[in-house]
Amino acid sequence: MRQAGKYSGFMMCGGIAGRTGPHSLPLARIKKIMKKSGEDVKMISGEAPIVFSKACELFIEELTRRSWATTLQGKRRTLHKDDVASAIVATDIFDFLVSMVSETASHSEDGTVPEEEETVGSS
Amino acid sequence: MVREQDQYMPIANVIRIMRRILPPHAKISDDAKETVQECVSEYISFITGEANERCQREQRKTVTAEDVLWAMSKLGFDNYIEPLSLFLSKYREAEGTERSSSLFAKCERGDGGMVEYAPVLGHYGPPGFGLAAQQPGMYKAGAMSGYYIGGAGGSGNEGGGAGSSSASQQRQGQSAMGGGFDPFAQFK
Repeated sequence: MRQAGKYSGFMMCGGIAGRTGPHSLPLARIKKIMKKSGEDVKMISGEAPIVFSKACELFIEELTRRSWATTLQGKRRTLHKDDVASAIVATDIFDFLVSMVSETASHSEDGTVPEEEETVGSS
Repeated sequence: MVREQDQYMPIANVIRIMRRILPPHAKISDDAKETVQECVSEYISFITGEANERCQREQRKTVTAEDVLWAMSKLGFDNYIEPLSLFLSKYREAEGTERSSSLFAKCERGDGGMVEYAPVLGHYGPPGFGLAAQQPGMYKAGAMSGYYIGGAGGSGNEGGGAGSSSASQQRQGQSAMGGGFDPFAQFK
Protein backbone atom coordinates (compact mmCIF):
# COMPACT_ATOMS: atom_id res chain seq x y z
CA MET A 1 0.00 0.00 0.00
CA ARG A 2 1.51 3.29 -0.94
CA GLN A 3 2.27 5.61 1.84
CA ALA A 4 0.23 8.74 1.29
CA GLY A 5 2.53 11.68 1.31
CA LYS A 6 2.60 15.28 0.33
CA TYR A 7 2.67 14.34 -3.30
CA SER A 8 0.21 11.50 -3.34
CA GLY A 9 -1.99 11.50 -6.35
CA PHE A 10 -1.73 10.61 -9.94
CA MET A 11 1.59 12.28 -10.49
CA MET A 12 4.17 11.16 -8.10
CA CYS A 13 6.87 13.37 -9.52
CA GLY A 14 7.43 15.93 -6.84
CA GLY A 15 7.71 18.79 -9.27
CA ILE A 16 4.65 18.26 -11.41
CA ALA A 17 2.29 17.41 -8.58
CA GLY A 18 3.25 20.65 -6.96
CA ARG A 19 2.19 22.52 -10.08
CA THR A 20 -1.01 20.82 -11.12
CA GLY A 21 -1.95 20.11 -7.55
CA PRO A 22 -2.82 16.79 -6.00
CA HIS A 23 -6.18 15.29 -7.02
CA SER A 24 -5.84 16.48 -10.60
CA LEU A 25 -7.44 14.31 -13.22
CA PRO A 26 -5.41 11.29 -14.33
CA LEU A 27 -3.39 12.05 -17.43
CA ALA A 28 -3.18 8.48 -18.69
CA ARG A 29 -6.96 8.23 -18.68
CA ILE A 30 -7.28 11.54 -20.53
CA LYS A 31 -4.82 10.34 -23.11
CA LYS A 32 -6.77 7.10 -23.55
CA ILE A 33 -9.98 8.99 -24.17
CA MET A 34 -8.22 11.33 -26.61
CA LYS A 35 -6.95 8.34 -28.58
CA LYS A 36 -10.39 6.81 -28.71
CA SER A 37 -11.88 9.98 -30.16
CA GLY A 38 -10.87 8.95 -33.65
CA GLU A 39 -9.13 6.19 -35.58
CA ASP A 40 -6.63 8.64 -36.90
CA VAL A 41 -5.44 10.25 -33.68
CA LYS A 42 -1.82 9.34 -33.86
CA MET A 43 0.45 11.16 -31.50
CA ILE A 44 -0.38 13.34 -28.58
CA SER A 45 2.10 15.75 -27.09
CA GLY A 46 2.81 15.45 -23.39
CA GLU A 47 1.24 18.81 -22.71
CA ALA A 48 -2.11 18.17 -24.35
CA PRO A 49 -3.49 15.94 -21.54
CA ILE A 50 -2.23 18.47 -19.04
CA VAL A 51 -4.23 21.22 -20.69
CA PHE A 52 -7.23 18.90 -20.69
CA SER A 53 -6.85 18.09 -17.00
CA LYS A 54 -7.45 21.74 -16.25
CA ALA A 55 -10.03 22.22 -19.01
CA CYS A 56 -12.10 19.33 -17.70
CA GLU A 57 -12.13 20.92 -14.26
CA LEU A 58 -13.43 24.14 -15.80
CA PHE A 59 -15.97 22.17 -17.79
CA ILE A 60 -17.26 20.24 -14.79
CA GLU A 61 -17.47 23.45 -12.79
CA GLU A 62 -19.46 25.21 -15.49
CA LEU A 63 -21.80 22.29 -16.08
CA THR A 64 -22.37 21.94 -12.34
CA ARG A 65 -23.02 25.64 -11.90
CA ARG A 66 -25.61 25.69 -14.64
CA SER A 67 -27.21 22.45 -13.50
CA TRP A 68 -27.50 23.66 -9.94
CA ALA A 69 -29.28 26.81 -11.16
CA THR A 70 -32.02 24.53 -12.51
CA THR A 71 -32.13 22.62 -9.23
CA LEU A 72 -32.66 25.87 -7.35
CA GLN A 73 -35.42 26.93 -9.72
CA GLY A 74 -37.22 23.74 -8.79
CA LYS A 75 -36.61 24.56 -5.10
CA ARG A 76 -34.74 21.34 -4.60
CA ARG A 77 -31.48 20.47 -2.91
CA THR A 78 -30.59 17.42 -4.93
CA LEU A 79 -28.95 17.83 -8.30
CA HIS A 80 -30.55 15.32 -10.65
CA LYS A 81 -29.73 14.16 -14.13
CA ASP A 82 -32.65 16.24 -15.44
CA ASP A 83 -30.96 19.36 -14.12
CA VAL A 84 -27.85 18.47 -16.05
CA ALA A 85 -29.98 17.86 -19.13
CA SER A 86 -31.65 21.26 -18.74
CA ALA A 87 -28.29 22.97 -18.45
CA ILE A 88 -27.08 21.25 -21.59
CA VAL A 89 -30.16 22.19 -23.59
CA ALA A 90 -29.98 25.80 -22.41
CA THR A 91 -26.31 26.28 -23.29
CA ASP A 92 -25.25 26.62 -26.92
CA ILE A 93 -21.72 25.38 -26.46
CA PHE A 94 -23.08 22.23 -24.82
CA ASP A 95 -24.99 21.29 -27.97
CA PHE A 96 -22.62 18.41 -28.57
CA LEU A 97 -23.97 16.82 -25.39
CA VAL A 98 -27.64 16.95 -26.30
CA SER A 99 -27.72 13.42 -27.69
CA MET A 100 -26.35 12.09 -24.42
CA VAL A 101 -29.23 13.33 -22.32
CA SER A 102 -32.15 13.01 -24.70
CA GLU A 103 -32.07 9.21 -24.94
CA THR A 104 -33.48 8.39 -21.54
CA ALA A 105 -36.96 9.25 -20.40
CA SER A 106 -37.39 11.90 -17.78
CA HIS A 107 -36.17 10.74 -14.41
CA SER A 108 -39.05 10.54 -12.03
CA GLU A 109 -38.56 11.38 -8.42
CA ASP A 110 -39.55 8.46 -6.30
CA GLY A 111 -38.92 10.32 -3.12
CA THR A 112 -35.81 8.44 -2.13
CA VAL A 113 -32.41 9.93 -2.66
CA PRO A 114 -29.60 7.44 -2.79
CA GLU A 115 -26.97 8.12 -0.17
CA GLU A 116 -24.09 9.82 -1.86
CA GLU A 117 -21.05 7.64 -1.75
CA GLU A 118 -17.57 9.07 -1.79
CA THR A 119 -15.47 6.47 -3.52
CA VAL A 120 -11.97 6.36 -2.16
CA GLY A 121 -8.92 6.98 -4.23
CA SER A 122 -8.38 8.13 -7.74
CA SER A 123 -6.29 6.39 -10.34
CA MET B 1 -25.74 -1.66 -15.66
CA VAL B 2 -22.05 -2.23 -15.92
CA ARG B 3 -20.09 0.78 -17.11
CA GLU B 4 -16.58 0.44 -18.32
CA GLN B 5 -14.84 2.83 -16.04
CA ASP B 6 -11.66 3.29 -18.00
CA GLN B 7 -13.41 5.40 -20.62
CA TYR B 8 -14.34 7.97 -17.99
CA MET B 9 -12.65 10.21 -15.48
CA PRO B 10 -12.74 8.60 -12.03
CA ILE B 11 -16.04 9.44 -10.44
CA ALA B 12 -14.44 10.49 -7.17
CA ASN B 13 -12.52 13.21 -8.97
CA VAL B 14 -15.63 14.35 -10.82
CA ILE B 15 -17.61 14.58 -7.58
CA ARG B 16 -14.84 16.46 -5.85
CA ILE B 17 -14.81 19.12 -8.56
CA MET B 18 -18.61 19.38 -8.54
CA ARG B 19 -18.53 19.90 -4.79
CA ARG B 20 -16.32 22.97 -5.19
CA ILE B 21 -19.26 24.68 -6.86
CA LEU B 22 -22.13 23.39 -4.80
CA PRO B 23 -23.16 24.62 -1.36
CA PRO B 24 -22.35 22.23 1.47
CA HIS B 25 -25.93 21.05 1.92
CA ALA B 26 -26.40 20.11 -1.73
CA LYS B 27 -26.88 16.49 -2.69
CA ILE B 28 -26.02 14.94 -6.01
CA SER B 29 -27.96 12.00 -7.37
CA ASP B 30 -26.04 9.03 -8.68
CA ASP B 31 -27.37 9.47 -12.19
CA ALA B 32 -26.30 13.10 -12.23
CA LYS B 33 -22.77 12.08 -11.25
CA GLU B 34 -22.65 9.50 -14.00
CA THR B 35 -24.04 11.92 -16.53
CA VAL B 36 -21.41 14.53 -15.73
CA GLN B 37 -18.76 11.82 -15.89
CA GLU B 38 -19.96 10.84 -19.38
CA CYS B 39 -20.11 14.47 -20.48
CA VAL B 40 -16.47 14.98 -19.56
CA SER B 41 -15.37 12.13 -21.79
CA GLU B 42 -17.57 13.44 -24.55
CA TYR B 43 -16.00 16.86 -24.10
CA ILE B 44 -12.49 15.46 -24.44
CA SER B 45 -13.45 13.52 -27.58
CA PHE B 46 -15.22 16.50 -29.09
CA ILE B 47 -12.31 18.89 -28.65
CA THR B 48 -9.71 16.30 -29.63
CA GLY B 49 -11.59 15.50 -32.82
CA GLU B 50 -11.46 19.13 -33.89
CA ALA B 51 -7.82 19.51 -32.85
CA ASN B 52 -6.85 16.39 -34.72
CA GLU B 53 -8.58 17.56 -37.89
CA ARG B 54 -6.54 20.71 -37.79
CA CYS B 55 -3.35 18.65 -37.43
CA GLN B 56 -4.27 16.56 -40.41
CA ARG B 57 -5.04 19.61 -42.53
CA GLU B 58 -1.65 21.00 -41.64
CA GLN B 59 -0.05 17.61 -42.13
CA ARG B 60 1.22 17.31 -38.62
CA LYS B 61 1.23 14.07 -36.69
CA THR B 62 1.14 15.29 -33.14
CA VAL B 63 -1.79 16.93 -31.42
CA THR B 64 -0.26 19.68 -29.32
CA ALA B 65 -1.48 21.80 -26.45
CA GLU B 66 -1.89 24.67 -28.89
CA ASP B 67 -4.12 22.55 -31.10
CA VAL B 68 -6.29 21.75 -28.11
CA LEU B 69 -6.56 25.41 -27.16
CA TRP B 70 -7.34 26.39 -30.73
CA ALA B 71 -10.09 23.76 -30.94
CA MET B 72 -11.63 24.93 -27.68
CA SER B 73 -11.76 28.47 -28.92
CA LYS B 74 -13.25 27.40 -32.22
CA LEU B 75 -15.92 25.31 -30.51
CA GLY B 76 -17.05 28.13 -28.27
CA PHE B 77 -15.04 27.60 -25.09
CA ASP B 78 -13.26 30.95 -25.36
CA ASN B 79 -13.70 31.62 -21.65
CA TYR B 80 -11.38 28.76 -20.93
CA ILE B 81 -8.52 29.98 -23.07
CA GLU B 82 -7.16 32.55 -20.67
CA PRO B 83 -7.04 30.38 -17.54
CA LEU B 84 -5.72 27.47 -19.58
CA SER B 85 -2.98 29.50 -21.21
CA LEU B 86 -1.92 30.75 -17.80
CA PHE B 87 -1.95 27.21 -16.47
CA LEU B 88 0.10 25.99 -19.39
CA SER B 89 2.70 28.72 -19.11
CA LYS B 90 3.12 28.05 -15.39
CA TYR B 91 3.52 24.38 -16.13
CA ARG B 92 6.13 25.08 -18.81
CA GLU B 93 7.98 27.39 -16.50
CA ALA B 94 8.02 24.73 -13.82
CA GLU B 95 9.18 22.08 -16.26
CA GLY B 96 12.02 24.33 -17.33
CA THR B 97 13.34 24.75 -13.82
CA GLU B 98 12.99 21.06 -13.16
CA ARG B 99 14.99 19.97 -16.16
CA SER B 100 17.89 22.13 -15.15
CA SER B 101 17.96 20.30 -11.88
CA SER B 102 18.30 16.56 -12.31
CA LEU B 103 16.91 16.12 -8.85
CA PHE B 104 13.42 15.72 -10.21
CA ALA B 105 14.12 13.64 -13.26
CA LYS B 106 12.12 10.47 -13.96
CA CYS B 107 10.91 9.85 -10.47
CA GLU B 108 8.39 7.17 -9.71
CA ARG B 109 7.66 8.26 -6.17
CA GLY B 110 7.61 11.74 -4.86
CA ASP B 111 8.31 12.34 -1.28
CA GLY B 112 10.05 15.68 -1.15
CA GLY B 113 12.58 14.41 1.29
CA MET B 114 15.28 13.84 -1.26
CA VAL B 115 16.87 17.21 -0.99
CA GLU B 116 19.63 16.12 1.28
CA TYR B 117 21.07 13.71 -1.27
CA ALA B 118 23.25 14.65 -4.15
CA PRO B 119 21.52 14.15 -7.49
CA VAL B 120 24.25 11.97 -8.83
CA LEU B 121 22.36 9.42 -10.83
CA GLY B 122 19.25 11.30 -11.80
CA HIS B 123 17.09 9.28 -9.48
CA TYR B 124 16.63 9.73 -5.84
CA GLY B 125 14.93 8.16 -2.95
CA PRO B 126 16.29 8.27 0.52
CA PRO B 127 16.38 4.82 2.02
CA GLY B 128 14.71 6.14 5.12
CA PHE B 129 11.23 5.84 3.67
CA GLY B 130 8.99 2.84 3.79
CA LEU B 131 8.71 2.61 0.03
CA ALA B 132 12.39 1.94 -0.42
CA ALA B 133 12.01 -1.63 0.72
CA GLN B 134 9.88 -2.41 -2.29
CA GLN B 135 12.63 -1.71 -4.74
CA PRO B 136 15.91 -2.80 -3.34
CA GLY B 137 17.20 -2.98 -6.88
CA MET B 138 17.42 0.77 -6.96
CA TYR B 139 20.10 0.74 -4.37
CA LYS B 140 22.62 -1.57 -5.89
CA ALA B 141 25.89 -1.43 -4.11
CA GLY B 142 27.64 0.37 -6.90
CA ALA B 143 24.99 3.02 -6.95
CA MET B 144 25.68 4.04 -3.42
CA SER B 145 29.10 5.32 -4.13
CA GLY B 146 27.91 8.69 -5.24
CA TYR B 147 25.73 9.44 -2.28
CA TYR B 148 26.81 11.20 0.79
CA ILE B 149 24.86 9.76 3.58
CA GLY B 150 25.72 10.53 7.22
CA GLY B 151 27.51 7.40 8.36
CA ALA B 152 28.97 6.35 5.01
CA GLY B 153 32.36 7.29 6.30
CA GLY B 154 32.06 4.50 8.76
CA SER B 155 30.79 6.45 11.69
CA GLY B 156 29.80 4.83 14.88
CA ASN B 157 26.12 4.34 14.27
CA GLU B 158 26.71 0.88 12.88
CA GLY B 159 28.51 -0.07 16.00
CA GLY B 160 31.81 -0.88 14.48
CA GLY B 161 32.70 0.76 11.25
CA ALA B 162 34.99 -0.57 8.60
CA GLY B 163 37.16 -3.44 9.44
CA SER B 164 35.20 -4.64 12.38
CA SER B 165 34.74 -8.33 12.04
CA SER B 166 31.46 -8.43 13.88
CA ALA B 167 30.09 -5.77 11.57
CA SER B 168 31.10 -7.69 8.48
CA GLN B 169 29.51 -10.84 9.79
CA GLN B 170 26.26 -9.01 10.06
CA ARG B 171 26.69 -7.69 6.58
CA GLN B 172 26.58 -10.99 4.78
CA GLY B 173 25.76 -10.41 1.17
CA GLN B 174 26.38 -6.74 1.53
CA SER B 175 30.11 -6.75 1.37
CA ALA B 176 30.10 -4.22 -1.40
CA MET B 177 28.66 -1.70 0.97
CA GLY B 178 31.83 -1.45 2.92
CA GLY B 179 32.10 0.70 5.96
CA GLY B 180 29.34 -1.26 7.64
CA PHE B 181 26.79 1.14 6.24
CA ASP B 182 23.48 -0.49 5.47
CA PRO B 183 20.65 1.75 4.42
CA PHE B 184 18.23 -1.13 4.73
CA ALA B 185 19.09 -1.98 8.29
CA GLN B 186 15.84 -0.60 9.53
CA PHE B 187 13.89 -2.87 7.22
CA LYS B 188 15.45 -6.11 8.44
